[in-house]
Amino acid sequence: MSKTITIAPVSRIEGHAKVTIQLDDAGDVADARMNVVELRGFEKFCIGRPVEELPRIVTSICGVCPWSHHLASAKANDAVFGVTPPPAGRKLRELCNAVAYTEEHILHFFFLAGADFVMGPDADYGVRNVIGIAGAQPAIAKQVVRNRHLGAKMLSIISGKSIHPVTAVPGGFSKPLAEEERQQVLPMANEVLEFAKFAIAFAKENIFPKYLEAIKTLGVIKTGFLGTVTDDGTLNLYDGKLRLMKPDGSYTDFPAAQYADHIGEKVLPWSYLKFPYAKAWGEGFDMSPSAPKGIYRTNTLARLNACDRIATPLAQAEFEAFRKAFGRPAQQTLLYHYARLIELLYNAELAVQLLNDPEITSKETRAPVTPRAARGVGCVEAPRGTLIHDYETDAQGMVTNVNLIVGTTHNNAPINMSVKQTAQSLIKGGQYDQGILNRVEMAIRAYDPCLSCATHTFDGTLAVKVEIYDHKGQLRDTFAN
Amino acid sequence: MDATPDYCACETLVLGCGNELFGDDGFGPAVARRLRHSPALPTSLLALDVGTSVREVLFNIVLSPVRPRRVVVVDAVDMGRLPGEVWAIEARDLPEIKRDDFSMHQLPTSNLLRELSELGGVSVTCVVGQVDGLPSEVRPGLSQPVERAVGRAVELILQLPAEEHNRGR
Repeated sequence: MSKTITIAPVSRIEGHAKVTIQLDDAGDVADARMNVVELRGFEKFCIGRPVEELPRIVTSICGVCPWSHHLASAKANDAVFGVTPPPAGRKLRELCNAVAYTEEHILHFFFLAGADFVMGPDADYGVRNVIGIAGAQPAIAKQVVRNRHLGAKMLSIISGKSIHPVTAVPGGFSKPLAEEERQQVLPMANEVLEFAKFAIAFAKENIFPKYLEAIKTLGVIKTGFLGTVTDDGTLNLYDGKLRLMKPDGSYTDFPAAQYADHIGEKVLPWSYLKFPYAKAWGEGFDMSPSAPKGIYRTNTLARLNACDRIATPLAQAEFEAFRKAFGRPAQQTLLYHYARLIELLYNAELAVQLLNDPEITSKETRAPVTPRAARGVGCVEAPRGTLIHDYETDAQGMVTNVNLIVGTTHNNAPINMSVKQTAQSLIKGGQYDQGILNRVEMAIRAYDPCLSCATHTFDGTLAVKVEIYDHKGQLRDTFAN
Repeated sequence: MDATPDYCACETLVLGCGNELFGDDGFGPAVARRLRHSPALPTSLLALDVGTSVREVLFNIVLSPVRPRRVVVVDAVDMGRLPGEVWAIEARDLPEIKRDDFSMHQLPTSNLLRELSELGGVSVTCVVGQVDGLPSEVRPGLSQPVERAVGRAVELILQLPAEEHNRGR
């Protein structure tokens, strides 16, 4: 008799997701899907508003990565108005982006995904949580709080606000960095860099070796990748051209403004979230793990696969070791975590570099703008993937059209594929237990999906709920931890 | 610089959370802002409008060696009461049957509140306001009943630290 296993909500990812695993009569996995609820109506809400208001408004879309939306929107504004920010304006934006990245990557590695690694996926839920990690590794927990606090403090000094930023404006950055502020922030950035160095060394010594087998098998799928690089192929998280890589490693580079020529958006009846795919490959869309078509991934692993090099020395050394060990493109889903730590190191180094750049304190941070009818695309690499803001305005600078593709949406199809692959490899003959189901969640968490725009569920002690239905929709079994 | 954020060391921390783009879901931020400007605000109480970023604050509190004695999460809910009704509920006391109904846009993930309350030794109270309805699409602005409820929520929150103080005597 066929059964449906439902895992809801997926704990420790932001937002509300439900995983449904459909078993066939033999008790093997016939299908697996992750459903999320998407923020709706934002585009319509923006129509008729002055385009320069959007960088401030978009930070309300997502409290998880507000800086990414803020900067993508500001860049789309630059394009709409046809201006290029002065060097100091651009560098201040990049600095904020780098600092925000360090906050996010530290949090994700140590405490969103960390519980799986530190406590083990089979550990009881009573200890496999944030408090459990804090108890098992109190010194690290203290350092995580301190370094995230340093990040928030730096952003407050540089931009006035860390959570809902307002300083990236059309044409640049509204607040120059004073020399005394630079001197205040630089030691903080150096401290975060020291922690980033510790983090990757700690993980390489204590965590990754224990999970080599899981890395080889869990959630592994074969896809293409999307990332942002400079003209010479160097990783860049703030600006550059998009590089769309096929599963065989060949790639095409194109300006972000041409994304619609290369990326299509598939709509499926069972999901609110669209499924972007590589339209330019001309093979259509298919999420079958064994024979995917048009599927690409974004986020940390995708960016490291796409780029040829990293501009900062310590991250470049780690990148070279990573590529030597796992090849190009690396397809193992759990390597997202390893790639995340290399990016943490890169951003920490970049923040120090930018703060040591004499130009960063220039008073010239903003170019004047004049409204016009135009289309502008702003693209940044958000921690969770390539983020595209596409605006059109009339002659008065009022918004007439908006399209957004957010990082997690790019990964919608791959996440579903990884869930299915994991479930198929671990659930046989209807046999499963809590550890197996958590491994399905681990496959999802590797992508660091941000479902912040979705409805959250307050379910008290029920972090994960598993419901088993027969083929008639009758509830047969329930598991909860 | 101190190793932990200032808000970790206050006695009572009020977090107004919600997405102001979604009508009455902006209840929490509105309460936090009103509270900050209240002349009756005690020095032991810190109110933050965390909007959709409540996670940022909660994670730091959960991990910090120094934590507030009480965290008050203010948010909008849809639990079938009269629009604008305001009441307090302990996180651990939420009836199981209502847990899945307690769905709001940016209410902190259940794990975080549970861990903070049951494992972190922090008294977690939810001060909630019944919505008049939530738009399915982006539409900012509180309904009239919920707008009127903001002041009542402020009064309720200002009573909470006093109750705790009295309990300790």
